[in-house]
Amino acid sequence: MTHDRKETLVSKVIVVTSGKGGVGKTTSSAAIGAGLAMRGHKTVVIDFDVGLRNLDMIMGCERRVVFDFINVIQGDAKLKQALIKDRRLENLYVLPTSQTRDKDALTQEGVKKVLDELREDFDYIVCDSPAGIERGAHLAMYFADEAVVVTNPEVSSVRDSDRVLGLLNSKTALAEKGDGSAVKAQLLLTRFDQNRSASGEMMSVQDVLEILAIPLLGIIPESTSVLKASNEGTPVSLDEKSPAGKAYMDAVGRLVGEQIEMRVNPGEQRRGFFQRLLGRTA
Amino acid sequence: MQSGKSAAQTVATVKPLQIRGRTFTAIALHLSGRPDRAFFEALEARLNQTPLFFDNAPLVVDLEQAQGLDSAAELIQLTAELRRRKLSVFGVQSGTAAQARAAAEAGLISLPGGRDIALERVSRQGSRPEPVREPAPAPAAKEPANRMVTQPVRSGQTVFADRGDLIVVGSVGSGAEVIAAGNIHIYGRLRGRALAGVHGDASARIFCHALDAELLAIAGLYRTSENLGPDTPRQHVQVYLQGEVLRIESLT
Repeated sequence: MTHDRKETLVSKVIVVTSGKGGVGKTTSSAAIGAGLAMRGHKTVVIDFDVGLRNLDMIMGCERRVVFDFINVIQGDAKLKQALIKDRRLENLYVLPTSQTRDKDALTQEGVKKVLDELREDFDYIVCDSPAGIERGAHLAMYFADEAVVVTNPEVSSVRDSDRVLGLLNSKTALAEKGDGSAVKAQLLLTRFDQNRSASGEMMSVQDVLEILAIPLLGIIPESTSVLKASNEGTPVSLDEKSPAGKAYMDAVGRLVGEQIEMRVNPGEQRRGFFQRLLGRTA
Repeated sequence: MQSGKSAAQTVATVKPLQIRGRTFTAIALHLSGRPDRAFFEALEARLNQTPLFFDNAPLVVDLEQAQGLDSAAELIQLTAELRRRKLSVFGVQSGTAAQARAAAEAGLISLPGGRDIALERVSRQGSRPEPVREPAPAPAAKEPANRMVTQPVRSGQTVFADRGDLIVVGSVGSGAEVIAAGNIHIYGRLRGRALAGVHGDASARIFCHALDAELLAIAGLYRTSENLGPDTPRQHVQVYLQGEVLRIESLT
């Protein structure tokens, strides 16, 4: 683990979004942020869910929040005062949001100013989007370079993700440039249960991919360690023993451009995921 | 033109102009007597039944039953009233010589013929489209009007080909809407809604690789997924109107 900024010259803004609530956006934001930091990238995770402040709890720094994102936007505090440095990981920071304000406190210019300032200092800026497609979610995705679309293998979640993908293609700064540039969106399938999917109770990975037609970033298995980690305020990717933690680390590896084989339960199953799928259908 | 980038524009040519025969469909509005308040009320009511359906549709006014309507002023007023309701009036038909002169004065063209066929075909009330022969009317240069989309149409998106066919290279998601004045071709799975021939073209068809639609409509006649039936073909299908029935048929 290095503490210097790594080879990344241009910092990347990554939005973690889904449309639907409760699919694991905040858990994934924390896990991806921690994973990037563990790999030596200087990373900040921003909570865009104004009024429903959760990220700081998931990341275990809720008692250290003094100033927040909204204070910075409104000029009441400096960015450095609001950034909370993680106690476990050298390269990880959290920019918490306000619990008392609402989403109208976010302005496009304010968000842009904060992101521009963060771009100078950080390799990765992870934006934890609120659920829905209203102001908070819109501003979380607006300045993004990449998107991680968090989806559960069930129809309503997939449909909402499809809606969000449409917005990523039309209502972002990159899309509005009109020169063909687009936010690079990848799918993170969470709460996946191999057995229930095999029995037809849950949608299969192929079903989801066929509908959404975007690259697969990772499959996070349904795991008791996720809830436990949330309650303890530890990003689940720090739990190296749990399948979910390993799956998140694999996803982070793919996010930074590494080729990593897709496994449903990393560590437990050594056979390739697609090989097993083929084995099952044959 | 709303249809944006069009595949048909790529037809290579170096000639400064081309003259081609062209057939298209228009709506004929049959008057019975002079247009009065009752007429406009009835018209409003009809338009409200299918909002957007007639928007900017080319329209000719049939004067056969409106012998008295022969002054340019009246025709100008009628045209203004119809255009205010988003009906694109461009001509009259079945008028007398006096009416034709008045129409010319009012900036409308007088269309010959088509009457006998038209009367037979207009068997039901409303807006059955009628073929109108060339020469084409003056308004709007005929631009290619097909529209091609090369990305999936996502939930919540609407893609509208206002004056031609719509081609989607990709799938149409659940909760998405594809609408065309002409045919709709989907090289992927149709999960959302597809409405072809929305300006009344009953000959429009919908083609798709895989059918899982929420709603299919041609010229206003529709079927929803609930009444498609279990034996409906689902792969490589075409949808077309046969009389008043929306048929779904396998292409293979």
